[in-house]
Amino acid sequence: MKEALQPLCRVAAHPEARCWFLAWSPGGGLLASCGGDRTVRLWAREGPGWACRAVLGEGHQRTVRRVAWSPCGSYLASASFDATTCIWKKGDDGFECVTTLEGHENEVKSVAWAPSGNLLATCSRDKSVWVWEVDEEEEYECVSVLNSHTQDVKHVVWHPNQELLASASYDDTVKLYREEEDDWVCCATLEGHESTVWSLAFDRSGERLASCSDDKTVRIWQQYKPGNEEGVACSGTDPTWKCVCNLSGYHSRTIYDVAWCHLTGALATACGDDAIRVFEESASSTPQQPTFSLTAHVPRAHSQDVNCVAWNPKEPGLLASCSDDGEIAFWKYQRPEVC
Amino acid sequence: MAAAAPPGPGPDMFEEIVMAEHRFHGEGYQEGYAEGRHAGAAEGRRHGARHGARVGAEIGSYLGFALTWQCLLRKCTDEKNSKKRKALDSLIGMIQKFPYEDATYEKLQEDLEKIRGKFKQVCSMLNIQSDFRVSTERSSLTF
Repeated sequence: MKEALQPLCRVAAHPEARCWFLAWSPGGGLLASCGGDRTVRLWAREGPGWACRAVLGEGHQRTVRRVAWSPCGSYLASASFDATTCIWKKGDDGFECVTTLEGHENEVKSVAWAPSGNLLATCSRDKSVWVWEVDEEEEYECVSVLNSHTQDVKHVVWHPNQELLASASYDDTVKLYREEEDDWVCCATLEGHESTVWSLAFDRSGERLASCSDDKTVRIWQQYKPGNEEGVACSGTDPTWKCVCNLSGYHSRTIYDVAWCHLTGALATACGDDAIRVFEESASSTPQQPTFSLTAHVPRAHSQDVNCVAWNPKEPGLLASCSDDGEIAFWKYQRPEVC
Repeated sequence: MAAAAPPGPGPDMFEEIVMAEHRFHGEGYQEGYAEGRHAGAAEGRRHGARHGARVGAEIGSYLGFALTWQCLLRKCTDEKNSKKRKALDSLIGMIQKFPYEDATYEKLQEDLEKIRGKFKQVCSMLNIQSDFRVSTERSSLTF
């Protein structure tokens, strides 16, 4: 049906293990992957394909679940089931582990750098979200331990231009946090999903947040600031987030990841039915009631669950995906004429 | 039927005998229920006391830990340590504000989680393992 998403290349990234996550470097030239083989691997273009440039194998004792690049591109953070988060620094001869962040009681599920580069967030099966601050001397210090969720926290992501943190959990909610008088507090709880929320993605402006869930839907939440024209009530100075769109009926299994391209606005999803789908806001969409239509659907993108989708930050339409089958696939997305 | 007639020959006598089992069931149930309620209340009180003691022991240990470190760091006035002292002060403040007498305080769980979170943060800043357990089987905490 939809061939807007064309396959470019496929690599067997993590031998005999799941490939859990992918992260493009801020410059778009390197792709970091991590997996069940306890390694982080770096991939770069080589001719028509992609080749492995480095293997960071000495950092963790168990599966590496997530990797994240610092905004400057010089650091890579890796979150592992061994309850630690390693910080790798880019040097002349590759990456070196400069710090290991400890404190979580069990598996760390996600890690994310704030756009300022000074803050890092981690979350874990121990139900907590930790916020860390890093100073000029590369010293990391925990500034807050947030116990707002009642279950395993699956993902954390920072707002693109505000110091606002979002987390997704097995307790079916999304929570937002901000700093208040030297401490971090939970300033909003987004309810609506009927099962585990697996991943989150802000759009380029930060006005909207996409969440994907085990309930097979993707929800789009919109920020309403105090004094907004639409008359949405806010408590105090905190904005309210309302669900303005619910994409249901498209996915037949759990949706593990959602990625919002900051160049084109396209929304990609990674699903447990081995497929990749792309949505775009339709022409009939209004700001308060956005509508999205399915513009691409590749049913057998991988031979097993797709765990992650990631848009290249510099090259519009370049998408990478990875799966339980240990492979990374590269795709070219072309927005179809009629949407 | 006439009221308060003494039992005697006639339909009333059979009424009593026939309904005896039913009546005994009813009385037995009432007695059992009362006894159960009494036993349940006693068990509930024991459970509450045990749980309360556990929470008290946990918070008490955090307070003792925090006051000790506040004392140890009192002489350190440099920038690095000022953040640690600030976090310690915050933890102590939260513990002191906690309403011990009111078990029905609606934000009890929430405040308890905030205290636990602050304690973990302080341990992280001081580079101390926060996984000690307060229990009767083992001797005290280790630092």
